[in-house]
Amino acid sequence: MEAMNATVKDYILTEFLPGERPDALDESTPLITGGILDSIATVRLVVFLEEQFGVRFQPHEMSPDHLDSIRAITDTVRAKRAEHA
Amino acid sequence: MDFTISDEHRLLRDEIIRFARNELSPGVIERDRSGVFPRDLWLKCGEMGLQGLPVPEEYGGAGLDPLGTALALEALGYGCEDGGLTFAICAHLLACVVPVWKHGTEEQKQALLPALCSGRMIAVNGMTEPGSGSDAFAMHTQARRNGAGYRLTGRKTFGSNGPVADVALVYALTDATRGYHGGVTAFVVPTASDGFSVGQKFEKMGLRTSPISELVLEDVCVPDDAVLGGVGGGTALFTESMEWERICIAAVHVGTMQRLLEQATSYARTRTAFGRPIGKHQAVAHRLVDMKVRLEASRLLVYRAASRLDHARDIALDASLVKLFVSESLVKSALDAVQTMGGYGFMTEYHVERVLRDAVGSTLYSGTSEIQRNIMAGWMGL
Ligand SMILES: Cc1cc2nc3c(=O)[nH]c(=O)nc-3n(C[C@H](O)[C@H](O)[C@H](O)COP(=O)(O)OP(=O)(O)OC[C@H]3O[C@@H](n4cnc5c(N)ncnc54)[C@H](O)[C@@H]3O)c2cc1C
Repeated sequence: MEAMNATVKDYILTEFLPGERPDALDESTPLITGGILDSIATVRLVVFLEEQFGVRFQPHEMSPDHLDSIRAITDTVRAKRAEHA
Repeated sequence: MDFTISDEHRLLRDEIIRFARNELSPGVIERDRSGVFPRDLWLKCGEMGLQGLPVPEEYGGAGLDPLGTALALEALGYGCEDGGLTFAICAHLLACVVPVWKHGTEEQKQALLPALCSGRMIAVNGMTEPGSGSDAFAMHTQARRNGAGYRLTGRKTFGSNGPVADVALVYALTDATRGYHGGVTAFVVPTASDGFSVGQKFEKMGLRTSPISELVLEDVCVPDDAVLGGVGGGTALFTESMEWERICIAAVHVGTMQRLLEQATSYARTRTAFGRPIGKHQAVAHRLVDMKVRLEASRLLVYRAASRLDHARDIALDASLVKLFVSESLVKSALDAVQTMGGYGFMTEYHVERVLRDAVGSTLYSGTSEIQRNIMAGWMGL
């Protein structure tokens, strides 16, 4: 569980916050509403999550409800995995 | 990578080229001059299956895979000298028919696809607004909940096929606070609906046989089943349609570049100056070689992207790359063809000045070159 959070955090830090200190990003930092993820970054993040965790996002799920923080992201991925388990 | 073309694809290509040359190209100079949409030819294209190339046969389409679709459109771009008609087909097929096929409910697909594929029904894509082009998701058109449906209000512009369309694919805000991220929804709106009107019609520099207009929505009421692809799903749906459009319109451009190259080469082999064919002058030969290089590079990019279109998740990057390179190549090659043909190239009856005028639009529609570069920069992590 922790591993998933760390993987997601690592990806966001490297790809979208280069040069930023790791403690600038925690589990509840707003990503979309906080302006860290723009439209292309959001698509790239979803592509990453799909490849990394073997899940599939529906068109309407590229929203703050599902992706606005590391916690929201990992909750969504876990829920998707449980659905298909 | 192996793009061996199957016998089936070869036959289809030859058939489309023959059809386009015999049926679609004659009379293009007059149609371009008067700016008329050739509805009779549009319907003939429907009989040929062009408006439904990738759609499964059970819905009235031709059931081609994306590479087959690109090959068919390349053949159309090569054989059809009416660039406006080809563009009208692409706008209908790629930005409207594809999303209905990909995201429609079974009822929506059965109700719409057979007529859209045969060309009996014409569609317009309504995304751009007077105040939002490149920044498309900064739109103002709203869809508010209204009983068992939605009430749409707003103004779209530059809708290709707008003046002749029976149905519009309209993108509207269902949640303005979310915008791009789940706040945009796609609606299928019959143009005969109360409150729907065409608005201003525009005259254009090129692609003049493809009519274009505003779409005005004044309290247009639609039922729930007008929603295409789920409430809030408009962004993903539009993005996917642009991937198809950017790659498959580029396929048309490849065909057009082939025609330009053949025309310019044969001119250079026969026109003489200073006692020899102009193609023997190195400066002219090099220009034609550059056209050849652009053509072959464009073709490879299109085939590669088309063969990945239905499964690669990073296809948006390919689509922007293809769109940028091929549209800019088309503009350069059209200019080169005019230059090679000298004063004759500038004269309407030689058919290349029209291709140049048509080509200028290609670095603007489906996202400008600057926007393609921005998208690619985003994917490159810049
Ligand atoms: C022939 C044709 C057919 C069309 N058909 C349709 C259709 O069927 N449906 C539809 O919805 N729309 C259609 N369009 C509209 C088209 O998608 C828009 O024209 C296009 O997206 C550009 O928007 P704009 O014209 O508002 O230009 P703007 O967005 O106002 O751009 C003006 C200039 O600024 C540049 N620019 C803007 N933002 C940036 C940035 N961030 N960085 C760098 N440069 C930037 C642009 O690249 C451009 O050079 C069509 C357009 C044409 C020409």
